[in-house]
Amino acid sequence: MVATFSWEWMKRNAGTLWPLLVACVIILGFQAVNPTFLKYEGLVTLVYAMSYFLIAACGLTFVIMMGSFDFSVPSVLKLAALFCVMYIEKLGFWAIPFALLVSTGLGLLNGVLLAYLNVPSFMATLGVSIVVEGIGLYLSKGFLHIMYNERFRALATTFIFGLPSIFYWAMGIWALCTFVALCTPFGRRTYAIGGNLTAARLSGINVERQRVYVFALSGFLAGLSGILYMAQLGGGSMLIGSDMSIPLFASVVAGGTALSGGMGGPHRTLLGVIIITWIQSGMLMLALGRDIQMVIFGLIAVGVAIATMDRKRIRVVK
Amino acid sequence: MVKTRRVWYPFFLLVRHPVAIVLVGLVVLFSLLYPQRFLTTLNLTTILKQFVTLVLFALGPSMVVVTGSLDLSYVGIWMLGGVLVWLLTPVLGLFAICVFPLLGLGTGFLVGVVHARGKVPSFILTLCLLVVYWGLTAALSGGYSRTVKGYEFITASLVPYIPTAFLWSLPLIGAAIYLMVRTRVGLYLYAIGSNEEGAKLAGIPVEKYKILAFTLSGLFTGLGTIVLFQHLGGSVPVELNLKNVVWPLVAIVLGGTPLVGGSGGPQRTLLGALTFSVFYRGLYLSLLHPEILQLLVGILLIVSIVVGARGLRGVEIT
Amino acid sequence: MRRNDTPVLEVRNVSKTFDTVVRALDEVSIAVYRGEIVGVVGENGAGKSTLMKILVGVHAPDRGILLLGGKEVPFPRNPKEAAQRGISIVYQERGVIPHLRVYQFLFLGHEEQYRGPWGLQSERMKREARDILDEFHVVCDVESFMYELPLATQKMVEIARAVLGVRLESRGKDVAPVIILDEPTAPLTLEERRELFQNILRMKETCSFIFVSHIIPEVMEFVDRVYVLRDGKLVAHYDLAQDAVTEEDLFRAIVGRESLAYTFEARKKTVSSEVILRVEGLTKRGCYYDVSFELCRGECLGLFGPAGSGKSEVLRTIAGILGFDGGKLVIKGQEAFSGEPPHVRLERGVGYCSGEAGKELFFHWSIAKNISIVNLKKVLGKFFPVIRFGVERSIAEGVMGKLEIKAPGVHAECYSLSGGNKQKVSVGKWLERSPDILLLEDPTIGIDVGAREDIYEVLLEMKQKGISFILVSDDPKEYALLCDRVLVMRGGRVQRTVSAEELQEVAVG
Repeated sequence: MVATFSWEWMKRNAGTLWPLLVACVIILGFQAVNPTFLKYEGLVTLVYAMSYFLIAACGLTFVIMMGSFDFSVPSVLKLAALFCVMYIEKLGFWAIPFALLVSTGLGLLNGVLLAYLNVPSFMATLGVSIVVEGIGLYLSKGFLHIMYNERFRALATTFIFGLPSIFYWAMGIWALCTFVALCTPFGRRTYAIGGNLTAARLSGINVERQRVYVFALSGFLAGLSGILYMAQLGGGSMLIGSDMSIPLFASVVAGGTALSGGMGGPHRTLLGVIIITWIQSGMLMLALGRDIQMVIFGLIAVGVAIATMDRKRIRVVK
Repeated sequence: MVKTRRVWYPFFLLVRHPVAIVLVGLVVLFSLLYPQRFLTTLNLTTILKQFVTLVLFALGPSMVVVTGSLDLSYVGIWMLGGVLVWLLTPVLGLFAICVFPLLGLGTGFLVGVVHARGKVPSFILTLCLLVVYWGLTAALSGGYSRTVKGYEFITASLVPYIPTAFLWSLPLIGAAIYLMVRTRVGLYLYAIGSNEEGAKLAGIPVEKYKILAFTLSGLFTGLGTIVLFQHLGGSVPVELNLKNVVWPLVAIVLGGTPLVGGSGGPQRTLLGALTFSVFYRGLYLSLLHPEILQLLVGILLIVSIVVGARGLRGVEIT
Repeated sequence: MRRNDTPVLEVRNVSKTFDTVVRALDEVSIAVYRGEIVGVVGENGAGKSTLMKILVGVHAPDRGILLLGGKEVPFPRNPKEAAQRGISIVYQERGVIPHLRVYQFLFLGHEEQYRGPWGLQSERMKREARDILDEFHVVCDVESFMYELPLATQKMVEIARAVLGVRLESRGKDVAPVIILDEPTAPLTLEERRELFQNILRMKETCSFIFVSHIIPEVMEFVDRVYVLRDGKLVAHYDLAQDAVTEEDLFRAIVGRESLAYTFEARKKTVSSEVILRVEGLTKRGCYYDVSFELCRGECLGLFGPAGSGKSEVLRTIAGILGFDGGKLVIKGQEAFSGEPPHVRLERGVGYCSGEAGKELFFHWSIAKNISIVNLKKVLGKFFPVIRFGVERSIAEGVMGKLEIKAPGVHAECYSLSGGNKQKVSVGKWLERSPDILLLEDPTIGIDVGAREDIYEVLLEMKQKGISFILVSDDPKEYALLCDRVLVMRGGRVQRTVSAEELQEVAVG
């Protein structure tokens, strides 16, 4: 085992190692500035901040792994949250499957636009997210809707072993996604499409169907994330999370799932999400405003995109 | 020796630009639906105002779309530039407005270099930059929308019923079209969009011209925002509105510049912007809910991309 | 008569080594005289393209001299310098820029001389474009877009562009243009090829051509002299006007006489009478016409013919990569339709294995993963559709053992393997899948003899297990070794059926 920790080994696993290194540096840095950073209260805040984020990021990871991009995750997340909060009184528990159905349907729409109508995924999802925002604003009339259903809120806020239940949800989803990506044909096909589209087709993979499935999965997870986020927050409107698309993207890519597709995976995304939420909470602690946070996240996103891009394999980048 | 075919020009125009039929159809439709309200000077002036806004935003990016990339930084240049003008006006006086073209130039060059050398997909790069600029805008302005006085002369009325901004935009439009249609630079940009590897084989320094495309895009956006800044009220918002980002894109795509590049260009964008303005204004007159309008715009974007993407089998789309 | 002239272009003793290991070119000398078409032929990897890239200044040679019109000059350092000296190239593919108008494309990269006070002088460009197209008898409208032109005309415009580039760059100096045509006919249909060659022959008065190709009948028909390269060495030089050379001679010179130790006797007759694939009057316009055959279980059928005879297109049609216009394709008694993607064909039992590693392999994946991607059903658990890594590993180990793949282990990533081992992985994944019909396109292209033998052995073994093959290759020995029956194709049509023994005589004797 000693031999494995050679320079060669480190170079090969750079994708995993450098996020770890960054995470350590960040912890030490913030701990030095603020000693309560690693205390219990800090941990709970951190868990709340990262859980819903992780669920949505897992879905996006599959899409990026496949070499595409899903811009509509934040909008779908918001819409699902809104559906839930608006219809939970009328429909009761059925509001949850309803919201999930809607978000999965939106994901399916993205996938169909890409796979069967040849619309580049970035533009397709941008268009869909505009439509979704329109629906959301129309339904909510732009107001914040408050959630009064305590049983529903308990979905995310019950404390088990000192941590809120949303944390266990997120870890469960994350484990499931990791399992799907690494151990099932679904994951294999996703990696294959991102890695070499021609070879994937010739190996007998139904590329179109797989693309639709992956976008549907992304929509489903965005919806689930939105529902739990709303349960955690206690209210939903189309104004929450309007600036989460960049941190979301940054956390997926920082984990090591490169935009060029075919590598990384949900297991990596956990690390990326932890780094990004740590940076976020650290910035909150330093009392940096939302504006400066956006600047920093934007720069981080560009930085990690450049760092992880697989330039050897891709001849033309548009 | 083959004779150049001569087709009756308006007919040729309609065949090559199917959106022109849509435009004529929309004008006829709305004139019939709202005979009292649509064909009034007030309404037409409003359409023209909308048209100017769209064109000035979309002019630069449409050059980048010709190369097959995407530039979303225009709203960022407008927002950050506006705040810088507000900051610098007390120091520099009216010369502060020069911030716009300089910022545009710098941004475009930066994006071009990072995109061409770092091989990061341009949409994600410019999206991150947009968010960075948004954050900087919010930070510098202190979170309030700041109005700058003293530049009213830019849009002071010269000709009745015609917005002065439209007159100002004419030389810019002319310059952009001249550049794309008559010069070597434009030719090379079309060549790169049509077949990047072929352009490289033909001896065109592709990287250099890609950087140039983004720089030009930034410059044109910068020059356009001098007019736009005043045209849109002499102040900039501190919240990023997705519709500002998407509408110019709709104008570009609707005009018939396919996202894969190679054809179209600023001249087409004019047509797209006009069609979009008429479409939007007509719907506006129908007194639909504004959120429904946004939804329809999203659908329009998707439909126009789907229509523009037909016949692209064989191109790898992710 | 030509021997006494000075050649317009001559290279002597050019050598080029990549990465200090592979000798891509070894002491190669060729000469081109004014107004002739010189063929340069050889297999993939024989050094043709390296030589051409040296001539146009993409690569620098290690050794060797270049003579232009008898005077020694340094090798060009970039394509522009090459054009100034009269050497220009027309690439095999991706050279055309579809959305430019013809006159814009003709002058692309040479616009400096057409700058006027109001931008580019497009009227002058159009006028001169018309002149040059007339000169070369290219019939097209200079204002139409490149993508509107038929492919042969596009190629002609590209050739005209190459000549024009030489004229513009040499600035009036009397430079005799030497145009390199790199596999110019690859994307063309048969009628288009004929048209293209007629045009090229007409241009012979003004310029010389170097014709890089592996399509032997074309070379025989249109070329004055031909150089044969093999493994970076010049192995033969024929003057087709003087020497009596047959296609077989050229074939043998290209493929070489390296002996395969493998004996033909090992083959047993394993063909059953069950028809597994029936092709009736299959037609794809411009590629092949009215192809009919039947394939039995356990049979290996070869589609033999020069490149461009439609053999690869027939194969790709059966694989589902291309569609067809007419005829019937019946796989295991069920009719298959045009436009079905490859995955539907695979469900019907048709696999496609190409010799191009980039079409088969995921380079950053391990060997095990590459093998299991087409064998996911075998790898999955019985109750849960989950990949069992132990099974995946043992399958991969089995394949590696059978094909003697040399790699550190099943988890070695494919990009680190040599070409032969990569190809073994491609074949190995289909070996494990064992589809009813396996389509092989150039299965051993560009790999060494040892690896070839291993692959042949495995293919023959699969055949005995009852798998049917359709083989397309450039190497006649491969047909002799593997096939029971060979359809000879030419010009898109099946000409005759040959038994393996007959072909063996042709190939060996």
